[in-house]
Amino acid sequence: MRILVLILLPWLAIFLQSTIFSFYNIKGTTPDLVLVFVTFFALFNTAKKGSGYAFFCGLLEDLYMGRFIGLNALSKGLTAYIVGKVQGNVFKENIFVGVLGVLVATALNSLFLFLISIMVFDVFHIDTGMLHHILYQAVYNIIVAIPLYIWYYNSSSKGVLRTRGE
Amino acid sequence: MFKLFKSKFFWLLLLVIVISIMVMNATAAERGNITFLEKVIRDTYVPLQSGVNSFRNNWDGWTAVFSDKSQLQKQIKLLEAENSRLTMENQSLQEYKQESFRLRKMLNFDNSNREKFDLLPAHLIARSPNNWYECITIDRGLRQGVQNGMPVISPGGLVGCVGSVSENSAQVNLITDREMAVGAIIQKTRETNGIVEGLGDSNELRMINIPYYSKISEGDRIISSGLSATYPPGINIGTVTEVTREPNGLLQVAMIKPAVDFNKLEEVFVITGYHPVEGFEVEEE
Repeated sequence: MRILVLILLPWLAIFLQSTIFSFYNIKGTTPDLVLVFVTFFALFNTAKKGSGYAFFCGLLEDLYMGRFIGLNALSKGLTAYIVGKVQGNVFKENIFVGVLGVLVATALNSLFLFLISIMVFDVFHIDTGMLHHILYQAVYNIIVAIPLYIWYYNSSSKGVLRTRGE
Repeated sequence: MFKLFKSKFFWLLLLVIVISIMVMNATAAERGNITFLEKVIRDTYVPLQSGVNSFRNNWDGWTAVFSDKSQLQKQIKLLEAENSRLTMENQSLQEYKQESFRLRKMLNFDNSNREKFDLLPAHLIARSPNNWYECITIDRGLRQGVQNGMPVISPGGLVGCVGSVSENSAQVNLITDREMAVGAIIQKTRETNGIVEGLGDSNELRMINIPYYSKISEGDRIISSGLSATYPPGINIGTVTEVTREPNGLLQVAMIKPAVDFNKLEEVFVITGYHPVEGFEVEEE
């Protein structure tokens, strides 16, 4: 059941991002729900598991888009690895951990997207419009992260996302 | 350091990065067809996305019922006035059309290319799930005859072109996407051949490669030139909002407000029957 939910989460996130959130965007910016779930997973699991799951979620997003397949998979995988590396030192009961995690993950993911794009394709140019998107997305991600973190924390401690043996 | 090389995870990570970069490169350029897996993933979303879209349209209809009556009356008056103005304009344009046909016949010219469009109406069902790409998903796909590279327009003007197609849906890359470029001219003077490129922002386009001597100014309407094989000529792209000269002084750059309001886009038309203008190929050679 846990695995099914973990597979459904990024699928649902892409669906919501492409419909409801994109129709009601803030200044043309939509939240990255996939990244939010990936960050939470990395916070509650190890860096290796987190990066593996993030790679899968990013790949799903890339396959849906049909362009630059591997870009989101790689950037999200690397982001989750870093988030997962620091997760052992934080108290996950505190909601600010989730919020701060999402904020850091948004910045890291954007940075990786830039770096990979510039290194591999030389197509993305950093301009003010892009920086605005990142700032708005960080704010939007934090807003959606608050209720989602509460749900994720409860689910992973005593709900459907609890790992076997806990 | 050597410990790192002994780690299996390190080698696995390296392998994944190398394979990802190879796949990224292979899928960066325009592809003829998307893979079976991509089609399946995309088509799993179509029924739900269509459902949400029709619910949203119905919801807008319901909220209109509760709108302010006086506001609705004002809107009706405005639309009636616009309708009268457009009817008059249409009458005079019909005259021009007839005249144009007569003159073309006399000069043995082909009919206007615009007359040859086969339009397939489609609904927008989803937008790009992330902020890096400017694209939309429509509810028409291979089954309805949509193919890669077909231009997409709306009553306002040029929307973009079909980037990839699955059985029941197609992804349309908007002209505002960073990777899009359209050959364009100024409608009034028809002298300047420039390239309109997307900036990743739905409210702004940029026209580049405009020679320094070109008479381009604020308010000029920009249309497709037909020089890029994908887009037919004469389709409205937008209006010039600002003209600046590049630091080298040889070229000008114009900022363009798109003719289409991409945030309010609901219905589009795929040009399924467009064929490049006869003689275009000869010109290219």
